[in-house]
Amino acid sequence: MTALLEFQDLKVHWPGKSGGFGKPKHVTRAVDGISLTIQQGQTVAVVGESGCGKSTTGNAALGMAPITEGKILFEGRDLGRMDKSERRALWQDMQVIFQDPVAALNPRMSIARSIAEPLVVNGWSKARIDPRVDELMALVGLNPDQRNRRPTALSGGQRQRVVIARALALSPRLVICDEPVSALDVSIQSQILNLLLRLQRELGLSYLFISHDLSVVRHIADRICVMYLGIIVEEGPASQVFATPRHPYTRALLSAIPSPDIRQRGRRDRILLTGDLPSPMSPPSGCPFASRCPNVLAECSAARPPLEAISEDRKLRCINPDGHLRG
Amino acid sequence: MSLLQVEDLAVSAGDLQLVDGVTLDVRAGEVVALVGESGSGKSLTALSVIGLLADSLKVTGGSISFDGTAFHGASGRDMTDIRGKELAMIFQEPVSSLDPLMPIGAQVAESLIVHGTATPAQAAKMAVDMLRRVGIPDPERRAHQLPAELSGGMCQRVMIAAALISKPRLLIADEPTTALDVTIQAQILDLIRDLATQDGTAVLMITHDMGIVAEMADRVCVMYGGRVVEQGEVEDIFLRPRHPYTDMLLRTIPRLDHPPKQELFAIPGNVPSPSDWPTGCRFKTRCDRVTAQCNNRPVLGTGHHRTACFHPLTGESYDRFA
Repeated sequence: MTALLEFQDLKVHWPGKSGGFGKPKHVTRAVDGISLTIQQGQTVAVVGESGCGKSTTGNAALGMAPITEGKILFEGRDLGRMDKSERRALWQDMQVIFQDPVAALNPRMSIARSIAEPLVVNGWSKARIDPRVDELMALVGLNPDQRNRRPTALSGGQRQRVVIARALALSPRLVICDEPVSALDVSIQSQILNLLLRLQRELGLSYLFISHDLSVVRHIADRICVMYLGIIVEEGPASQVFATPRHPYTRALLSAIPSPDIRQRGRRDRILLTGDLPSPMSPPSGCPFASRCPNVLAECSAARPPLEAISEDRKLRCINPDGHLRG
Repeated sequence: MSLLQVEDLAVSAGDLQLVDGVTLDVRAGEVVALVGESGSGKSLTALSVIGLLADSLKVTGGSISFDGTAFHGASGRDMTDIRGKELAMIFQEPVSSLDPLMPIGAQVAESLIVHGTATPAQAAKMAVDMLRRVGIPDPERRAHQLPAELSGGMCQRVMIAAALISKPRLLIADEPTTALDVTIQAQILDLIRDLATQDGTAVLMITHDMGIVAEMADRVCVMYGGRVVEQGEVEDIFLRPRHPYTDMLLRTIPRLDHPPKQELFAIPGNVPSPSDWPTGCRFKTRCDRVTAQCNNRPVLGTGHHRTACFHPLTGESYDRFA
């Protein structure tokens, strides 16, 4: 079966400032060779800390970051080879929800107008737009009397519902969600997560879910992909990666989440990382996590370990995951 | 005795009262978490304590005392004497809290020099040590850099270093790790915890993250709609919550052991803005235990575990995390 979205060894390198007279330019390797597939109806979460390239990955699929090398395929069609009109047509299938609903909405437009925007751009007639906007507002749980209100008159959760309604206006099959609940109050986060889950069930949506919040990801994802400095270090079914994380970085990440279980207080073994995150402008030739890894070996800095299958549907990029080998 | 005592604090913006009768205290060596959502008044309470309310906001009632001395109404001079020395604050937004034109080492050292605690040369050396303690790599070189040359996470750590360098007796931390990655967050939380247990610093920590509360706090103060709705020891709050809001807040947390892709518990409705606060209990519009009695204002009461509710949960221990 052709995957809905597929990244094949994607690289996104940003040209940087000149290194000085006669010196080569610094290149930021934001994404440095990732392969990932998303099937219809699936939620694939990309997690990692700031600067790991998770947002750039989503942006590359949206055409907001250049594809330096590799390919992104939507149902087998190469995004890099599409002309403008094909790319426009693809917007019907692929939409995005960003973190900050305040920045995502025009403060001078009524929310009905904002939701209608993709329909207007796609040449829908007024007679068709109005009922579609009503339908979308009902779908995301907005009250139709709020049609003419401005975003500032709404709460954060309601604004994110408007953003979701707008993303769904053209009935996309894939929605890229970049930190969709991070800016919301805790009591509102679960409302929006429930909405995203319900929309997936009802509409068969696929999500590329980009987040740093692992407890949210655990709840919503089928598969999880852990990135570090532009590459994937571990990938697999979310339940398995959470139950038995294999990469030392995944373990450190999971152990660092503050647990709301008061009875575990002081009893958890937290893996505290020391050392620095290398700069994506000069990534190390070996494993990028070597500088902070508790299981590091001499050979880790020599060459980047390959991303290898460790079971039917799990992959790992580490030569010493259990720390059995000594350097 | 409490180092910080806030009694019946009220803060208003014009006719709109945003903080309405907040009472709380923090003792030396103790971490008190102030929990609430946007508009609950938690940040305004903290800003009142450190005397940094915006000009449009006024403390309109109540009292704040530090080490037995009231300072609401104290002169600006008094406040300047203790602010930055005995009382320091870490803000949520690192980039806007730092001077963009001043090297970070000098910003960290500033409070020592202003308060005459150290000579500029000593202060510079102490600043480098402090930068190392908060996990800034290569601090000798970094100390000469400007905030724009550092990542957001590093700027946050610089601000934390600036707050901690004078070993304040009270540290107010307003969402100190919200902008940080979890692995860095863990380092910073450990640092704050050590300050409380080793140096006896009193910490008032403002957060919305119940995971951080469970790991850090000794006592918890839950705010909703500008008022304290529940206050108690951390175990009581998490295992035997009495206010329906606290209970619901705990139930909304997506937990690592919850079956995935299942509906989460969600608190109905929206967080109301201050102009829409209902009369009586402010949570009544979202509460499942509401009766006519809730049109009156509930009182917080006294004791170790207090709650402002006419129909509190029985406080029986039941396990939300089993």
